Parts: sequence; C-alpha cells; structure tokens
Amino acid sequence: MKEPIYITGAGIVSAIGLNKAEVLDSLRQHRTGIGPLQYLQSEHTELPVGEVKLSNEKMKSILKISESIPPTRTSLMGIMALNEALNEAGIVPSSTQCIGFVSGTTVGGMDMTEQHYLDFFEKNDFDHFITSHDCGACTQTIADYFGHFSYITSISTACSSAANAIILGAELIESGELDIVIVGGSESLTKYHLNGFNTLMILDHEQCRPFDATRSGLNLGEGAAYLILEKASSAKHRKAKAIGRLSGYGNACDAFHQTASSQNGEGAFRAMNKALQSAGLQTNDIQYINAHGTGTTNNDMSESIAIKRLFGDILPPISSTKSYTGHTTSASGSIEAVICLLAMIYQFLPTNLNWKYPMPEGIVPNMNDYSNTELKHVLCNSFGFGGNDSSLLLSKPVNG
Amino acid sequence: MNEAILELKRQIIEVLNLEDISPEDIDENAPLFGGGLGLDSIDALELIVLMEKNYGIKLQDPAEGKAVFKSVAVMANYIEKNRTK
Amino acid sequence: MNRQRVYIQATTQISIQSPLNENWMQNPIQYERPFIRSIEPNFRDFISPIEARRIGRLQKRALTTSLTVIHQSKVEHPDAIITGTGLGCIENTELFLKDMCSQGEYLLKPTPFIQSTHNTISSLIAIYTQTHNYNVTYSHRNISFECALYDAMLQFRLQKINSALVGSHDELTPSWYELLKKVGYSGNPSAEASVSFMLTTERNNSWCELGGIKILHQPSIEILKLSLGKLLTDNGLNLSDIDAVITGINGNQATDLPTIQIYKQLFGQIPLLHYKHLFGDSYSASGLGLYSAACCLKYQFVPSTLYYMETEDQIDNPQNIMFFGQSDYKDYSLILLKSSCGK
Repeated sequence: MKEPIYITGAGIVSAIGLNKAEVLDSLRQHRTGIGPLQYLQSEHTELPVGEVKLSNEKMKSILKISESIPPTRTSLMGIMALNEALNEAGIVPSSTQCIGFVSGTTVGGMDMTEQHYLDFFEKNDFDHFITSHDCGACTQTIADYFGHFSYITSISTACSSAANAIILGAELIESGELDIVIVGGSESLTKYHLNGFNTLMILDHEQCRPFDATRSGLNLGEGAAYLILEKASSAKHRKAKAIGRLSGYGNACDAFHQTASSQNGEGAFRAMNKALQSAGLQTNDIQYINAHGTGTTNNDMSESIAIKRLFGDILPPISSTKSYTGHTTSASGSIEAVICLLAMIYQFLPTNLNWKYPMPEGIVPNMNDYSNTELKHVLCNSFGFGGNDSSLLLSKPVNG
Repeated sequence: MNEAILELKRQIIEVLNLEDISPEDIDENAPLFGGGLGLDSIDALELIVLMEKNYGIKLQDPAEGKAVFKSVAVMANYIEKNRTK
Repeated sequence: MNRQRVYIQATTQISIQSPLNENWMQNPIQYERPFIRSIEPNFRDFISPIEARRIGRLQKRALTTSLTVIHQSKVEHPDAIITGTGLGCIENTELFLKDMCSQGEYLLKPTPFIQSTHNTISSLIAIYTQTHNYNVTYSHRNISFECALYDAMLQFRLQKINSALVGSHDELTPSWYELLKKVGYSGNPSAEASVSFMLTTERNNSWCELGGIKILHQPSIEILKLSLGKLLTDNGLNLSDIDAVITGINGNQATDLPTIQIYKQLFGQIPLLHYKHLFGDSYSASGLGLYSAACCLKYQFVPSTLYYMETEDQIDNPQNIMFFGQSDYKDYSLILLKSSCGK
C-alpha cells in the first residue's frame, strides 16, 4: 500500500478572513466577504468583489517588508498565507532540508504591471515591476521571503492552478523526490482579469448565487492559501500533527471550448472519477463536495450534470463557498481545500449562500451547517478555462 | 448589395477575423450562428462590442444578442432602428 | 525497482531557424540583429482559416509543432499534455493591456483576453485533438520547459502514463523586447521558440532515450555534483561516458563565465556545446537546447557550429549528451539524453 500523504499545516488569506480562525468564523456565521470595490482602482464600481481587507501597505508592515522592495499583491498575500501554514507545521525552510514549493498563479504580477504599463516605456521609476510581472517571479518572491527550497515552480492553469499545484506536490512525494512539498496558490484581483471576465459577460452585478435558477454570473475574489504536504513517515519522524490527508486527486481536460464547459461535464466527471479511483473510494464514501460552483449559467449546469453522472441519485451535501470568498481564480483550489479541511476538523458543512430557487436539472446545494454523518472524505472541485479540470479528495488524517 | 449591409459585413469580417471570407461569401439572410460560418458564443460577445462601439447600441446580455444576430439582414434592420450614432 | 524507460519518439521546432526540419544542422541561418522573430511555416497546412480566427500566433506555432509530433509518433491522444511557457501569450496580453490602459475599461474585446492566459496553449491542443487526459501548464521563468518535462518524467516513473506531449513555447513582441532590454533580461539575440516533444515508452524509431532530469533550486556545488552522480548511476553510466555537455551560454561574458566555471567543476574536460547563438534566447530556449541534443543523437553527428571551442575534436557517433541549464544562478537543470540507436 502506498504511504499516505498528510497535511501538516495550512494557511489562508481571503475576503472572509486573514487566517484559518477568521475564515472558520465567517463560514459558521454565514458572513460573506463579497462587497463593493474598496482597494482595486477600477472604473467598474458596479461589480461586487471579494477583496482581502488589507491594503498592500498594511500587508507590508505586518510582514515587516522594507519599503524599498515593493512586492506585488499576489506575492504579499502568498507570503501571509504561507507564513500561517509553515508556523502550524513547525517548518523553517533551510538548506539542510529538501522542501519543495509549488505555487499556482495566472495574473502573477499583473496588479503592478497594469498600473505602470504605459510608464514602463516612458520612465525608469517602475522597472522593478517589469521583472516582477511573470508568474515565476511571484513564486520566487514568496520563496525568497522564507529561505531555502530545493525545488520551486509555478503552475498556471487558470482557475485550477492551485489544485494542480497540490497534485504535483503529491506526485513529487509519491515518486520519492521529496518528503515535504508546500503547495497552493495566490492571486490578487486585477483590473486585467476583472475586465477580462467582464468582456465575457459572466460577472454578476449582484451577490453571486451559485446553483440558483436566477444566477447570472460570478463575483471575482482574491486570496492565497497553502498546504504543507508531507509523507506520513516524515510527519511521524518530526512528530508533526496531521490536520488532514490528501487521499486522491484527478486532473482531466474537458477538451471542449476555450472558455465554456461542455454540456455533459466530461472534464469534471473524469477529474472527480480519477480522484475517487486514486483514493480507492466509492461515491458513497464522500460526505461533502465543495463544488467549483462559480455562479455562471454554464458552469453550474455543467458541474451539476457531471456530479449526477458520477453520483447517481444519491448526492452528498454540496455547496459552493464562492458565495463567501468570491471566485479567487488561481488560488481557489487551495482556498477551498483549506475550507474542506476546516469542515472536517470542526465537523460542519459549509453552506451555499444566496440560494433560493432550484435550477432545472441542477443540484440542490447544502443550506444546513450540521452534518448527520461524520465528515471523513470530501471532494473539492476546481475547473479552469480551457477545460483544465481538477478534483481533490481530502480526508481525515486517520483511516476509518 | 445594400450599402449598410455591405458595410456591416465588412465590420463583421474584421472584428471576427474571418480570414479568406469576403462580403459576397456571406448570405445576409442565412443564420449567422449555427450555419456555415461556424461562429460561437465568443463571436457573439465580439458582435456585442461591435454594436456598442460602432452604433451606440448596448445589449445587456448574450441572450438578447441571439435574436439580434439571427442574420446579417436582421442585424442591419435592428441597427437601423436602434442606432444612436 | 524496474525503471520505466522513456524515449523521445518525435520532436520538432518553430524558431529562428528553418521551421519543422533539421536544416540548421547543415545550413544554419546567421543573424546580426538583436531581436529576431520566428520563421513561420504555412499554418494553413495545419489549421483552417475559420479555426485560426481566434488562435493567437504563439498558439498557432504550438499547435503546429504539436500536431507534427503527434503525426510523426502516431500517438493521437497522449496520456499527458504538458506545456512550459515563461511569459505565456504576451502578444494578446499586451493587446488587452494596451487597450485597457489607454482607452479605459469599457468596450474591451474578449478575444485577446481569452487568448492571453498561459494555459490556452495546452488546452487548445487538447481541444484540437480531443484529448481528455492530464493537462497542465508550467510558467516558471527560464525553467518552465524543464518543469514540464520533470512532471512528465515523474508520471512515467509512477507508471501513470505511457506517452506525453511536452512543449516549450514562448513568443516575444517588439514592445516587450524593449522592456526586457531595459531591465537587462534580453538575450543575445532575443528570439522566440516553439518546440514539441512526444515522449513514449517505445524504443523503436525513437530519436533517443531520456535518461532522467534533475532540477535544483539554489544548490551548492556539492549538491549539484551529487545530483549529477545520481543521474549517471541511475543510468549505469560514468562521467566519462558523457560525450558532450550542451549549455545555454549566449555570448554574454558576464553570465557565461560563471556558467562555464560550474560546467568545469562538474564536467571537467567533456566537450562543451552551445545552441543559443543559432536559436537565440527566450524563456523557452532550453527546449531548443534539448532538441539540438536530440538531433545530434538521432543523426549521430554533432554539427561543427555547436562546438563552443573551435579546436574541439570531432565527436563521432555520440552516445550520451547532458543538457546543463542555469537560470539567474538560482535554478539549475540536468537532463540526460542517451542514444537509442544500436543495441
């Protein structure tokens, strides 16, 4: 039997809290983090968003980052979340240990690029942001804050980036390359993708309503979350406490359209199915699904169909926590994985806010905090543009 | 060919980047979507931008566009009635 | 453990050398300009105009090299499609960005945005070939390609896949070139690259064997030596079995000298090859480096243009070539290619 992969630490920064305790409280109090634009300087003030409630300046001061190095918002949020995860796991990255770092992002340093793009050609004051533009630069900045990692890389598969970072981390451990890999993603809100999604006409002007018949799009969010994946024997050796287990995962491609999901949810179906198979579990072993559930007409229909295809008539409780955090794009995979861990640790079901009317053929999301059965295994879905669909299977640390 | 229809065809070819297609190749009465041009939902979004940019017509959502983009002739007729510039 | 052996079943490129062939080995094109864009084949042979209408330039190149290796290897639906791209689709990114920064946040067009995300390359290949399997994109500066290749190798080793389409794709616009030049990131020359590799477990008709890959972040020289040693022993080789080392030195003394120093510490007197003087530099240049080495093993000769020192002895029938890459003296990569000709 293959050695289990434990999660020995987790950190999160999102619109509903700057750490796990705050996020937990918001989820249990049914308090959304979605509201009017506060930090991002955009003309689209009509669009509700899930912003992290801190300015870049404030984050820099919390992290004691000197003024002379201006990191991008994506890096700042990433550092905050990683800090929490490392503290919980009791890890200080150093050259004496082989620790990997895999981070997902798509906009990378775009938050700064878009503020200075025209200046880049005229002035020299903002040259630093030319070098901090790309995805890899963000990951490097986060890594450099903490110390030494033996392998670092960045994954960019749009809204499933962090989920795929988690999958790579598992494969690095399974293949014996590394014992500890820090995985997740970070993505700040930018005018760039706010406008990009707006041109696709998939942003709701009200609070998003995943799986509701009246849903009319998503609300963008931002944030970061990281998990410490660790080989069971390494965790045991370090006497580190496992807060969860990554028991399965699946990556598949919908191969249908650059932005739309297929009618039959093929990619989503395959990703979830692979996750179950790799964990050696059946559909009736799953007590909760954290859906991708963006709130767009297309996703929620396609995902409903995929879930029904796999689970048949008996569905576990399902909810989309994007009604709390907004759609945190590249970070959503790890943000929602942390939410799933919290659900298992504290034994509650995250609810789906703003749901009223069932959609034809759609799933009926969970509206109740209390679970009748113990949460042992949960599925967490992340689907990206281009049909980059991934599903994670998270479990309580100990089998049975 | 009616000048307005010809102009609209030229604009459609340009915004949708329809290489190799000339205005004569597009039958103004044939369906724009689900027909020979092979257009999809993203093309509809591009046409919505075209409507606002060139004619000052604001369509609220793609569903509204469906009726308007039935054919080039229907589109031209809609523009004639609703244009603000 | 019985190691799964992995072979390069097909590879091809679109770069500043003649596209989709190995003409550069006999007749390399020489340039005197600091920034050169790729020579493009006729995309119509691969992509119909109606399909091409919403496919960016980089995607067209990537799709063309991918379809070529798919055709050559007869692997229609690879078990994995993995792409490395450092900057992603920068041309469309800049189109959307320029419009947004200069005309404001209204009346922006969706197409450049859709085409600008890094993962459109891998997903487009999947859509085109109707491949529902594993699909991932790496975007990590100069080692994006190595990361993609590493992922594929992990999965071969875990016996999860039997084939993988691995690509290395980057484009560069004149405006972004100006920005890179400004911050000292430009190459000598700066160029573009699209390279595709079809990896399979089938030895027959392969170009060469992929012996293994190591990527190290901020390693000490001792760690580098250990990793090199491990890579060699895993393949039953000694350092003296390596016929040549190919590196990404690019004629810039400031960065070349430290690289050569490390090369000497690791490899001693093993002949040094270079490729960026032919293919230029880009975030995806390492893909072309590995491609060049694969060409040498397939055709069993090393073109004289690849020798770094003109005085180097001719290498006859090369058997093992090591790719040695470094990026900003932070990330190092070692990739071993072995001949699959003969026994």
